[in-house]
Amino acid sequence: MLPEQHDILFTFIAIAFAVFAIYVFISSIQICREREGINIGFWGTVFGAFAIGAFLMTAHMFTLIQADQLQFFFSTYLWAIVVLLMVWGSFYKSNKIESQSPPIIRGFFFWTTVSLLLAGYTNWLPQQRSDPPPKEAALVGDVTMEEFAEMGRIIIFGAKQVAGQPSIGKGQCPLCHTFDPGDNIGRCPNLFGVENRSHDRVKEDRYATSPIAIGETDPASGIVKGKYDEIPEEYRRQNGPDEFTGEDYIRESVMCPTCYVVEKFGNDGDTKSPMPVIVKPPVSLSRVEVNAVIAYLQSKDTPGEFATVTVPLPQDDAGNTGGAVAEDSSDDEDKPVFVTGTEDIQTMINTLGCPLCHTIPGVEGAMGMLGPELHEKINAPKRIKDPNYKGKATNTKEYVRESILNPGAYVVFNEAEGELFPDGLMPTDFSQMLSVHAIDKLVDFISQTEPPAGS
Amino acid sequence: MLGKNKRSITAFSLGLLLAMAIYLVPGMTSDAIAKEAFAEQVFAEEAFAKEVLAQEAVEGEGEAEIEWSQDVFYRDWEGNPLKGPVSGYPAPELGPSDYNNYDFAPSRMLIWVANQQHLYFGSFVLAVPIFCMLIEFIGIRTREEDPIMSQKYDRLAHDLMKISLTAYSWTAILGGILLFTFITLFPGFFKYLAGIFRPVMHVYALMFLAESGILYVYYYGWDRMNQDPFLKWIHASLSVLLNLVGTILMFLANSWATFMQAPGGIDSEGRFLGNIWHVIHSTLWNPVGVHRILGNIVFGGGIVGAYAAYHYLTAKTEEDRAHYDWVCYVAMFICIFGLIPLPFAGYWLMKEVYAFRQQMGITLMGGIMAWLFIIQAVMIGLLFFAANSYLHNGMARVKGSHRYMKYCKYMVLLLIVCFTMWMTPHTIVMTPAELKVMGGAQHPVIGHFGVMSAKNTAVNLMITTTVLCFILYQRANKKITVPWATAGNCWIAAIFVGAAANIIFLGVYGYYLPANQRVGLSVPQVCTTLTTLFAGTAINISMFKDSESYGEVKWGSQSKVGTYAIFLLAISFTWLMGLMGYIRSAVRLFWHVTEVVRDNSVDAYTLTIGEAGKMLTFNTLFVWVQFVVVFWVGSLSGKKEQVKAPEGVPVPAQQ
Repeated sequence: MLPEQHDILFTFIAIAFAVFAIYVFISSIQICREREGINIGFWGTVFGAFAIGAFLMTAHMFTLIQADQLQFFFSTYLWAIVVLLMVWGSFYKSNKIESQSPPIIRGFFFWTTVSLLLAGYTNWLPQQRSDPPPKEAALVGDVTMEEFAEMGRIIIFGAKQVAGQPSIGKGQCPLCHTFDPGDNIGRCPNLFGVENRSHDRVKEDRYATSPIAIGETDPASGIVKGKYDEIPEEYRRQNGPDEFTGEDYIRESVMCPTCYVVEKFGNDGDTKSPMPVIVKPPVSLSRVEVNAVIAYLQSKDTPGEFATVTVPLPQDDAGNTGGAVAEDSSDDEDKPVFVTGTEDIQTMINTLGCPLCHTIPGVEGAMGMLGPELHEKINAPKRIKDPNYKGKATNTKEYVRESILNPGAYVVFNEAEGELFPDGLMPTDFSQMLSVHAIDKLVDFISQTEPPAGS
Repeated sequence: MLGKNKRSITAFSLGLLLAMAIYLVPGMTSDAIAKEAFAEQVFAEEAFAKEVLAQEAVEGEGEAEIEWSQDVFYRDWEGNPLKGPVSGYPAPELGPSDYNNYDFAPSRMLIWVANQQHLYFGSFVLAVPIFCMLIEFIGIRTREEDPIMSQKYDRLAHDLMKISLTAYSWTAILGGILLFTFITLFPGFFKYLAGIFRPVMHVYALMFLAESGILYVYYYGWDRMNQDPFLKWIHASLSVLLNLVGTILMFLANSWATFMQAPGGIDSEGRFLGNIWHVIHSTLWNPVGVHRILGNIVFGGGIVGAYAAYHYLTAKTEEDRAHYDWVCYVAMFICIFGLIPLPFAGYWLMKEVYAFRQQMGITLMGGIMAWLFIIQAVMIGLLFFAANSYLHNGMARVKGSHRYMKYCKYMVLLLIVCFTMWMTPHTIVMTPAELKVMGGAQHPVIGHFGVMSAKNTAVNLMITTTVLCFILYQRANKKITVPWATAGNCWIAAIFVGAAANIIFLGVYGYYLPANQRVGLSVPQVCTTLTTLFAGTAINISMFKDSESYGEVKWGSQSKVGTYAIFLLAISFTWLMGLMGYIRSAVRLFWHVTEVVRDNSVDAYTLTIGEAGKMLTFNTLFVWVQFVVVFWVGSLSGKKEQVKAPEGVPVPAQQ
């Protein structure tokens, strides 16, 4: 549900409580009329007031939206109902009425309590919303090989990272593959060292014959094994050596997983791979995306070193028809980012892409780990005093503004890794993306970020 | 079980259990032999179609203008994708004009509510005729030996049908609301689905007509056909027909959902390939159908139990209290009857999901849906607790039960231990600092309980404990007199001790095996549990021959805790049913039809667990408000003349 919409559950509960209050009113009037000596005027007024109050509070719930509804419900409405129950109990007690609330009411509260506890339990667990992946990765202009490999990493792992959970991107690879030495979840091979293995694998005897021989066509994918020049046109490499290379092997592995099945990881005696064809639904990677994944796999074991990457950059790729490198695309996704400051802070930060790299308290989904956590209310004053600080800021707001517009002025030390965060990763063109009002608003917000209470 | 003619009825019950097992086991253990056989048949059909086309091409002026395309699911006997003639239009690329919405709530929430409410009521109205069929049959069979009991069963079946009749109209209205919600909020997708399922939808409507006709004759003809034995059998046969049509209806409607989750009979562009049976009979159709039948039985039992429990609490006379206490017991009996095989049907369903797309299975069990399965574990634990609590409390009203009551606390302890293990997560979301402190994503000690070996062990022990509890309940007021009593007791003890040892051994052994082999151990564990159910119950019942009774059951003396345990069972199952439905549907992620029709609406995201939990609670409360209304409407038509029950009504499961 969107934040500006009603909370269906608590709106419903509010209505149910109003009905309950009316029931109490009618029921108590009936009891007063059936018995002598009970002050019908007094109790009628009391329970009538509760009924009217509950009705008004329910009407008020309709004027609120989600977070406000919950706050009002738990701060006011719920307590009003608790008081009503106590007054109702004292009504029975003071008038010595033995047959008290009927089972339907007790059942209702039992039902509601158990159900709400279950809803509460689900809200107590870690919350993670999954958005649909973009239909195709959008690149604007020329990219470097580092950026291209990073695009491959995001396709595999996604932009958002959640600690302790295998984060999963459009490619869905981490569902089955592991990437670090020693890791194994038993579903599919560990991809550490895949670049080196890819060159040796194509020379192995087993590759030549199992489960299908080189030159044969895999029926599921329609790929001819071991023939780089018979790969479908839209994915075929255009340059490079006239032989089946390591790059071709990786490409073949994602386009035709059953062309070669690593021992003990296949079905039916290692003749069928459980892996889906990555260029078909549901993953459906494009040419540029497949190449980006290959670039990442070829370079991931040698951080910062891209000499082993053999796939061309999108702008140099003769086979790229331009679908993913459209500079003048009319698609909204490809328009230059600009925030005016009229947006709410969450939208602004998401539009600018900060959550991809930073963990930002108070911003839902901002769990990035590539850059430092933003606890600037505490950190900025310390950093200004750091002897290594060469910037010009004298207070927190100036420091934050400087960090946004000129990220290289001070590179934060990553204590967990024992080294500096990578310099040059943060874009330097935020001045072109932000209005004057927007940067002020952003600086005000970031300056107040601090670690969550209790951490 | 339910009268003097016990042997045939016991055999009938065992026969039902056996039939269910026979239906389930091949699905869970074989590797889709039927599917392969079917593929061969389809291959032959395809070859025939090719011949016909070739002949037409020769006879006609030119080549036949029929395009052939590959099925997204079906394969021929060589494993190649099956080909079929393109007979429909490609799936549309849905855009903003294909979605409508209201401001107050997202469309997906509205369709979810409409769908879930219809399903809840549909489930109830499909379950009640199953109960009525069984109860009426038992009533007929006991007519000569025990006329009073026979009338009592007949009255119960009739009363249930009366409620079901009101619920039936309500279900139809909710179905209409669902249809309108679907058409108005998702017109683009509905158009595509209607294009594929056009004939099925018409057959569905006609079957609905047939269901209504049979239902009305069955209900309104009850009294008229009650006296003459021949007419009574005709009447009972009508209930069989009613269930048959109802089951077909459910399976037809299931095909829409299973097609959306795991399509077949179309190509990758979503074009219909000319064989409607392929579209209906997609890979999940059978397991979802079986799972829903069992789920309906449990859900229906829960509703009837809650209905009876409510009337038990409000009953003014001892006679009414005894009657509704007894109805509670019958409903619980039915509920547990469906509950025990339900996990196995779920296992079969998951197996088929993995067979369809491994990443879909992993998304469920190890990806974004994994936490929902932890919640499912909690809910199943609640169900077992509720069932055991009812049996423990119920035992107190059976004379002679003091011999077994002392074991209850140990069983509760075992349930708690198993429940804790059952709900231990494999990994949880943590901050890097927390990860560092714990030394990894898994805790060094309790992390071992988060894996499947431990969970399978825990759930099998929980089921075994429930079976044991039920066996003790059965024999609570029996003084066993057969000469082989000692041997029989030893056998029962040996079966349960051996089963527990085997289940634990297999669980521990699983830790020493690779993951892909470990999965296979769940089959012998399940078989062990089933052995306790079938062999244990069979030996137990056999020992009742010529048994003496310690005294009659004091119907109407059930404690309030035991009665509220039935409420808990009803709530838990309603919530659980919604949860599992949500999981099954949400695993499509951002697809309307997996991998074929993408959901391009603004609601294509997967909800957080909290958002989903709140909707599930809303659906649970909302449907029960409606059930209360339906029961109240059903009670307006006046009460039938009460049948006087004997002072002590026999315990159905004790005979």
